[in-house]
Amino acid sequence: MRAYVASRLVQTALVVFLSLTAVFGMVRLSGDPVLLFMPMDIQAKDVNEFRERLGFNDPIAIQYGRFVAGALRGDFGESLRYRRDALALVLERVPATLLLGGTALLLTLAIAVPLGVVSAVHRDSLLDHLGTLATVLGQATPGFWLGLMMIYLFSVQLGWLPTGGRGSLAHLVMPSIVLAAFFAARIARLTRSAVLDVLGEDYVLTARAKGLGEARVIGKHTLRNSAIPIVTLAGLEAGQLLGGAVITETIFAWPGLGRLTVQALLNRDFPVVLAAVFLISVLYTLINLAVDLLYGWLDPRVRLR
Amino acid sequence: MRGLRSALAVSLLLGLLAAAPAGAQDRVKSKEVVIGLGAEPRTMLAVTIVDWTTNTQLEHIYDRLLDRDPKTLRPKPMLATGWRIVNDTTWEFTLRQGVKFHNGEPFDAQSVKATMDYLKNPASKSHYAAYWRLVKEVQIVDPYTVRLVTEKPWPSLIDRASLTDFLVLPAKALRELGPEKLNQHPIGTGPFRFVEWRRDERLVLERNPDYWAGPADVARVTFRFIPEFSARMAALLSGEIDIMKDVPPHVVEAVERSGRAKIRAAVSSRINYLALVNLKPGPMQDPRVRRAINHAVNVDELIAQVLKGRATKICGPLSPANVDYAPVECYTHDPQRAAALLREAGHDPAKLQLTLDTPSGRYPLDKDVSLAIAAQLQRLGIKVNVVVNEWGTHLDKIKNRNTGDMFFLGWGPAVFGQGVIEPLFQANQTYSSYGNNPLINEKIAKAITIVDPKGRAAAYAELQRLAHEEAAWVPLWQQHDLYGVASHVEWSPRADEKVWMYDAKVVAR
Amino acid sequence: MKKFLGVGVTLVTLVVAVAAPWLAPHDPLRADLVQSLKPPGTPGHLLGTDQLGRDLLARVLYGARLALFIGGCTVLLTAVVGGLLGLVAGFVERWPSAVLMRIADVQLSFPFILLAMTINAIVGLGLRNIILSLSAAGWVVYARVVRGEVLSVKQREYVHAAAALGVGRARLLFRHVLPNVAPSIVVVASLQFSQFIVAEAAISFLGFGVQPPTPAWGSMLSESRDFLYVAWWLAAFPGAALALTALGVNLLGDWLRDRLDPKLRV
Repeated sequence: MRAYVASRLVQTALVVFLSLTAVFGMVRLSGDPVLLFMPMDIQAKDVNEFRERLGFNDPIAIQYGRFVAGALRGDFGESLRYRRDALALVLERVPATLLLGGTALLLTLAIAVPLGVVSAVHRDSLLDHLGTLATVLGQATPGFWLGLMMIYLFSVQLGWLPTGGRGSLAHLVMPSIVLAAFFAARIARLTRSAVLDVLGEDYVLTARAKGLGEARVIGKHTLRNSAIPIVTLAGLEAGQLLGGAVITETIFAWPGLGRLTVQALLNRDFPVVLAAVFLISVLYTLINLAVDLLYGWLDPRVRLR
Repeated sequence: MRGLRSALAVSLLLGLLAAAPAGAQDRVKSKEVVIGLGAEPRTMLAVTIVDWTTNTQLEHIYDRLLDRDPKTLRPKPMLATGWRIVNDTTWEFTLRQGVKFHNGEPFDAQSVKATMDYLKNPASKSHYAAYWRLVKEVQIVDPYTVRLVTEKPWPSLIDRASLTDFLVLPAKALRELGPEKLNQHPIGTGPFRFVEWRRDERLVLERNPDYWAGPADVARVTFRFIPEFSARMAALLSGEIDIMKDVPPHVVEAVERSGRAKIRAAVSSRINYLALVNLKPGPMQDPRVRRAINHAVNVDELIAQVLKGRATKICGPLSPANVDYAPVECYTHDPQRAAALLREAGHDPAKLQLTLDTPSGRYPLDKDVSLAIAAQLQRLGIKVNVVVNEWGTHLDKIKNRNTGDMFFLGWGPAVFGQGVIEPLFQANQTYSSYGNNPLINEKIAKAITIVDPKGRAAAYAELQRLAHEEAAWVPLWQQHDLYGVASHVEWSPRADEKVWMYDAKVVAR
Repeated sequence: MKKFLGVGVTLVTLVVAVAAPWLAPHDPLRADLVQSLKPPGTPGHLLGTDQLGRDLLARVLYGARLALFIGGCTVLLTAVVGGLLGLVAGFVERWPSAVLMRIADVQLSFPFILLAMTINAIVGLGLRNIILSLSAAGWVVYARVVRGEVLSVKQREYVHAAAALGVGRARLLFRHVLPNVAPSIVVVASLQFSQFIVAEAAISFLGFGVQPPTPAWGSMLSESRDFLYVAWWLAAFPGAALALTALGVNLLGDWLRDRLDPKLRV
């Protein structure tokens, strides 16, 4: 077990290093990083002086060496735009993203699991059909459009909720709903099929035959056994939530990691892009590792190696 | 089912808590003003980064050597009470006495020298080093008199000193705390003191009761960063913010109708223009083609239809807000004349294909204006391919002379002639679209060194005439800066784009 | 139900996409400043007009064309490249397989949408580049699925038999293995299709990807944000078209999976 975790961590480090190298190579090809940070009425030779001073005129190999040496020490350089340590800038945004992602995950489970269970238990009822319709629609509706429509309705027309930013609990409502909608649809569908699978198993039939109440049959025997696929998917989705957060944070001006990454890309703030890539891939692989471990713990039949 | 019920309960609870935060009413009592801007500052250090958003916020904390009259845009006293020309290369400033920084440190000649030393120090990586390159040294005559000695005659020094290019830092604090500490907690002489900066959310300032010109009426200023226009608008109408920057022309009416806010407008010194690129091969090499485009584009129609009247037409490279402005006559809108000129230059309008590069969202309705220009040229049969660029790409293309035959750009604050003519009409400049005209090069070189006001005016007048004759651009307009201002705030914007809260008043209604 | 809706909606979208030039009442790029921001139901403009007086219906119809084109090209490109790499990696086990799986790990250590967006920001905007970026981010899924299938197919007896009979490797690959993995490729492709369409729209919405004036649903939605106060229709219709298309293609993919390869997990 310990060896497994260790080897996975080594693998993670390798993967993160490779992705940083790839991104480093790509960003250096994307255009002049200096122009965007300089006033427009400045002379060309002054711009070049800055480029020189920031090391962008050096051969790419030297720049890469410098980058690797820095990154190993956790130093991704200074943000070109804000003149501050890039990693610190990125780390500052993590709590906001975790708050949004965590709320969305809770919301997802709070909606999806009951919906899935009810659909499965009352299979082919009107409720089931409505539930299926909702999940199919939820999966097809792009989050950014849902967000836009909600802003139009709840902020522009009704004035109930702020359009964006962080602050009171009210600021959290729309972004977390939008972020949760898509994932809730997927998890509800999965819950439904997982519960259906289990309902057909012998021990459930036995429990019923023993005359156990329906609530107990569902609550104790069924839910517990259908938890494994649900937890797995929820875990995998937790990683994907990071991707969804990029879009949600941008629409709702939520000061998190995703929004910072989009802005850094648009501003060609390379040190920040690299620091963000670093953090996101670390977070993402760690979440996946945690899911694997959880999976092994829930289902002893799965052996990790 | 229990899950469902609790989910319902949670959403209900969320709904209840969604009630609006502490509203505009409380802010009237506490005399607080919240301003919604599109971006956050990039630093809290004075004289380091040239960036409008950064400086408009920093100016509340730091004072400049000179101010500009909000109406005439002429330089006027601020931390310096007077200035005089000692000789061609020496300017002398008399400093205001009894001014204190927020930490109690007195303001004097040392502060001016320390600021200049900081910005010229390569280790500071300050953008302003380039602006002040001509300054050789700062001489302290006495604690309240300083002299700036320049390498060669530099008449625009006074223009620089009255822009944001010289926000004065505290000498002692700079020496003892260092720039990093000052970046975390800025110390200036300005009308407001720093309270906190929550990144990507808000900057909070409080009134400086000891301000040398008397304390401001507003007790607390909060800048909130709301990038999306529709979000800023909703924030204004719901009372989350009191002043909203950049109201697009098409919602002016909606704001006025809301009853919660009114529109305040200023004609900005920032100009928008369509560059007709002669720095690369193509039809724009021929001045007749450039003149034809000037006759074909209907600027009045663009202003009326796209910008809903919210722009002031210009005819030459400088606007009347520029101190070196001289009137030039407009090209008339005359499609026939345009077609004739094109044929004269050997082009069949129906076969001519041009490319126009435009940014999107950088200037008011920039992309839409560009598309409308394409539609206007289409009426002559000219096919225009509009390429919409991300801002960084747009700058790259201009710098590398990779744009199409035309590109859209804005320039400003454009308050003095050198700042427009020098960087935009010579081939060796980064963002120029026009150049390689020896006559113009020579006239520019001369104009920027003339100290005598009359000679300077004549030199810039001639340059404006030449630029017009050459039809280097289609000059479009001065932007109108439109602000939504809550009805309990009295404040008007200025032509130099400053959002200056010292002038604001909170009134109970 | 799935079949009916999935095939039906997809077919309608396809017809709209192909027939856009005949169905559209106006040129989607033609600006008419006097007719700007007209609400739906205005004579001649069923869905209204945008800020430049361009007909929204025409733009939404042409948007279908663009969405399907981008989705189609990307699916084709990723299926061919990812499928081939997966085949090779599954067949030649040693180092090509290891290298491929390492690359796959790198890509999978990053949310798909963010990866595609990053690549797009770097290679530059525009139609061709969005297809390339989506493909670069999306091929891994095929490679993984196909490699897995190949590994299991290879164990089957007829493949062993064919190899024993001296059938050449390439022949083996294309005659015996490929037909067996084809259903998986088809299913993955159909499931990826809607993901690509929505991802393209999302990326264009964020300001990368396809740029105006090209009538792409994502960039239309992005532009609509500035007019949310005065013209709700600019946000409503392109988004609805996008959601409907995604719905149809999703259902189609589900149905195909149920039919061809019920056990497949993507």
